[in-house]
Amino acid sequence: MSGEITRNPKLAWREVDGAMVIISPEDSQVHELNEIASLFWKHAEGKTLDQLVERISAEYEVARETARADLEELLAALGEKQLMFVAPEEKG
Amino acid sequence: MPNTPVMDGLIRRTVQRQLPWSVHVDLTYRCNERCIHCYLDHEDHGEMKTQEIKNVLEQLAQTGTLFLTFSGGEIFLRADLFELLEFARSLHFDISLKTNALLIDSERARKLRELSVRKVQISIYSAEPDVHDAITKVRGSLERTLAAIRFLQAEGLQVKIACPLMKQNLTAYRNVQALAAELGVPYVLDMTITPKMDGDMSLLQLRSSTKELLPILQDASLNPRACSPSSLEGETISMGSATSSGIESQAYEDIPCSAGHNSCYISPYGDVFPCVQMPVATGNLRKQTFEDIWFRSEEMNRVRAVRESQLPICSKCSIRQYCERCPGLAQMEGGDLLGAYERACELAELNARIAGVANPVSAMHAEKSNSKNSRSIPAPTVAPEVRIGSN
Repeated sequence: MSGEITRNPKLAWREVDGAMVIISPEDSQVHELNEIASLFWKHAEGKTLDQLVERISAEYEVARETARADLEELLAALGEKQLMFVAPEEKG
Repeated sequence: MPNTPVMDGLIRRTVQRQLPWSVHVDLTYRCNERCIHCYLDHEDHGEMKTQEIKNVLEQLAQTGTLFLTFSGGEIFLRADLFELLEFARSLHFDISLKTNALLIDSERARKLRELSVRKVQISIYSAEPDVHDAITKVRGSLERTLAAIRFLQAEGLQVKIACPLMKQNLTAYRNVQALAAELGVPYVLDMTITPKMDGDMSLLQLRSSTKELLPILQDASLNPRACSPSSLEGETISMGSATSSGIESQAYEDIPCSAGHNSCYISPYGDVFPCVQMPVATGNLRKQTFEDIWFRSEEMNRVRAVRESQLPICSKCSIRQYCERCPGLAQMEGGDLLGAYERACELAELNARIAGVANPVSAMHAEKSNSKNSRSIPAPTVAPEVRIGSN
């Protein structure tokens, strides 16, 4: 998973009182992210997982493996709901 | 919009924080139909230009608006509609449209899907062309609107039919129901006919009487009060307001509705109102910022301060639970934002009767009746004016 993380461009979203509220236009499903997921939503766009692991482990002084496992879990949860994806890497 | 615990929680928070998260913007009052019940003046008296609207949208996004409804007039008469939609999507708004759909072809439907418009609400007055076209005053309009619905559906867009009911199409609700079922789309029947925005009350003649509405209100498939609560679970309620944001909730608790609390209306001229049905001018976006109007307008705060439990008449009403009082209509029809008005009282009494309440009388009617009775006590100064038995 070394491609860039991207939000599903079809979604509508706004931060409401610190939490990200996201709506899918296809089924009108409303999602409310918790604090950590909201931060991830705001800051992960355009970054690779490796970049985020580096940043989180440096800022919060956690082991890279722990940061990676947590981020992968979060990304998987967001991916399952089709909110965020890892874009396929461009082959050069 | 589904009324889920997540939505209820969000509604509570947006009301508490006074976040304008649902905003209805009329892009134009111009229209290519001339619906007989329309409350608008279709002349262009200086609509906001493209850049002015973009500026408003930026302000709304900054202030926390998520749900954006573009309506009119007919929005497809704006040459810049797609530019505005594209801009709105770049600001991550959830977008709903209200349109007669006459100008939607397959290409425009495709563009709407590409822009991730979530929902398109379209007015249909009857499945019979003669009835529908007589209301819109455009021959062939039903056929064109139906073609547009199919274009939108082919693109996978969510369509909702709104059917305002009046004398001219009162019995059409059955065929609109059937049409909606055939198309596989939700619908809303709206019995609200409002005065014109300039205060002209003549349109109210188009309203069906409560007696005429009885068969509709008694139809358990339409009116939740006409059936047991358990049979309602999972059902979509099909009576309501075609002008509402569609974000209904019990979470509004002691406030009359969302107007001024977490929603508002913006006219094509930049005027801001608490709701499209509430003619309380709170400011103009050509002169003030949105934040200034939303948070600091005296009028907006006056509307915001209203509590159901403090309404002088309605709070005492024994059939309040059967009433769908609209504060905007109370202002327009009764002249008092806090007051009761005849139509709401009549419908509440009818709904209560349908639900099995014996001899329901609204507080306003009870008060009028008491006042008549008390005035009939012989008193030389008032006696000549008493008209016993009059309405």
